[in-house]
Amino acid sequence: MTTSAEVRLPRQTKGKRPHFFDDPSIDQMMTFLLELTTEVGVLRERLDTVERLLDSKGSVTRAAIEAYQPDPAVEQERAAWRDAYLKRVLRMHAPE
Amino acid sequence: MAANPKDIPIPNIEELFRPTHDERARQGMVSMIRKHAIIDMRRALKSDYEERIEPKLEREGRKPEDSAAIEKSLNREASYRFYSSIRYNAQEMCYLSVQPAVERALPGMIDLAKDLAVRNPTGGSLRLNPNLEIPRYITALDVHLAPGWVHAEYTADDVAQGAVVTFGGKVFSGQHPYRKKPGAVGESLAYWIKKKFPNFKPKRILDLGTTTGKNLLPYCTAFPNAEAHGIDVGAPVLRYGHAIAEHEGIPVHFSQQNAESTDFPDGHFDLIVSSFFFHEVSVKATKKILQECNRLLAPGGVMVHMELPDEATVSPYENFFWNWDTLNNNEPWYTSYRAQDPIQLCEEAGFARDQSFKLHVPDILTFGEERHAKFMRGELESPAHGSGGWFVFGATKR
Repeated sequence: MTTSAEVRLPRQTKGKRPHFFDDPSIDQMMTFLLELTTEVGVLRERLDTVERLLDSKGSVTRAAIEAYQPDPAVEQERAAWRDAYLKRVLRMHAPE
Repeated sequence: MAANPKDIPIPNIEELFRPTHDERARQGMVSMIRKHAIIDMRRALKSDYEERIEPKLEREGRKPEDSAAIEKSLNREASYRFYSSIRYNAQEMCYLSVQPAVERALPGMIDLAKDLAVRNPTGGSLRLNPNLEIPRYITALDVHLAPGWVHAEYTADDVAQGAVVTFGGKVFSGQHPYRKKPGAVGESLAYWIKKKFPNFKPKRILDLGTTTGKNLLPYCTAFPNAEAHGIDVGAPVLRYGHAIAEHEGIPVHFSQQNAESTDFPDGHFDLIVSSFFFHEVSVKATKKILQECNRLLAPGGVMVHMELPDEATVSPYENFFWNWDTLNNNEPWYTSYRAQDPIQLCEEAGFARDQSFKLHVPDILTFGEERHAKFMRGELESPAHGSGGWFVFGATKR
């Protein structure tokens, strides 16, 4: 049996995947788009951490980024940013 | 003098989950995408339907009258397609965003859970049955799009799925206004039971499909003298839940059993509960489980299940909204479960019809005690299921 350190959890779900668009490649594109949208948010948050560390300490290391713990006020600010960011990226056309 | 083992602090298995900076950021983003789909886009979809699509079809004399007709009227509309696609992707990403950190934490989590299962420092217990046949209605699909759901095991003494559903669940509900605190359902129902049955002092509590027991723990706090039992078919969630309960200092007896047929004696429990459970099992199994509840519930006992509102309780549009999960969230029993009348199900299982009930109860964390008192006096209605209230059904036994 696999040892606990070797376990790689499955990333694919068992069951039929629904298609919401006439062309299933649009469904695939939506996954690409949402993953990419998420990665931009991650990158932006990393930059935010760097800026906050520079403001408070004047220098930054990878270890300091990793150890950074946002306080509730920062967390709230970040949540508000994510919310506004998604509302911009996922702007819907008016129905025709 | 040797230290008393009772004085040694019990480590928290959840603290072993240590996502990196970027993983935490990813989880935060996924929570917000999920919120965007289930709150913002859901609202936009409803407006699009009520303000544009339904009036147009009504003018043409073909107003959709039920859930399936509403779905058909919407499934080629951009509002529906993007809502569905974003909601589906967000659901998958909840679990994907926590899996790497669970993999890294796994060896330590397993060691801790194993140690606590031997020592039971708080006085709970863990009883597994490796020969238990996991029903096909659980294994055929990955429910909630969670690969491995509550039952899959990848190594000896595995707890991975306990951690995946717990932390994935936190990402899922991280920005949901009524689901921010794990165990909100158990807390709300225990509060309601105490107000509804003020003299009720259960000796034993049973939680069906308990997974990690997060909705059972609030009942233990509400009824601290009761002996608490949680059952599930999945071993990894039980091992994980046992480690949490021991850490929390709440003795819970977890056992791996199928709720259709348990090994407890007749009349063993005076409070039987469950949360988000029946719609994940087949209707046939639901009927057997309720019969088992009737066998297990002692005279004077109370049975309360938090479930989805049945079809007859809500509007056709709400039915369409809830039934979306049937095909799109790997919950194949959702629609057929919701088509049942919970009162009738109780009666068929042997409970007295006039002792059976269904209603919405307020989410105590968001509704507040003062308004809850007004709800109990019939002066205020409970918010709807998932919007500040929880739908429940059950029965009492004379």
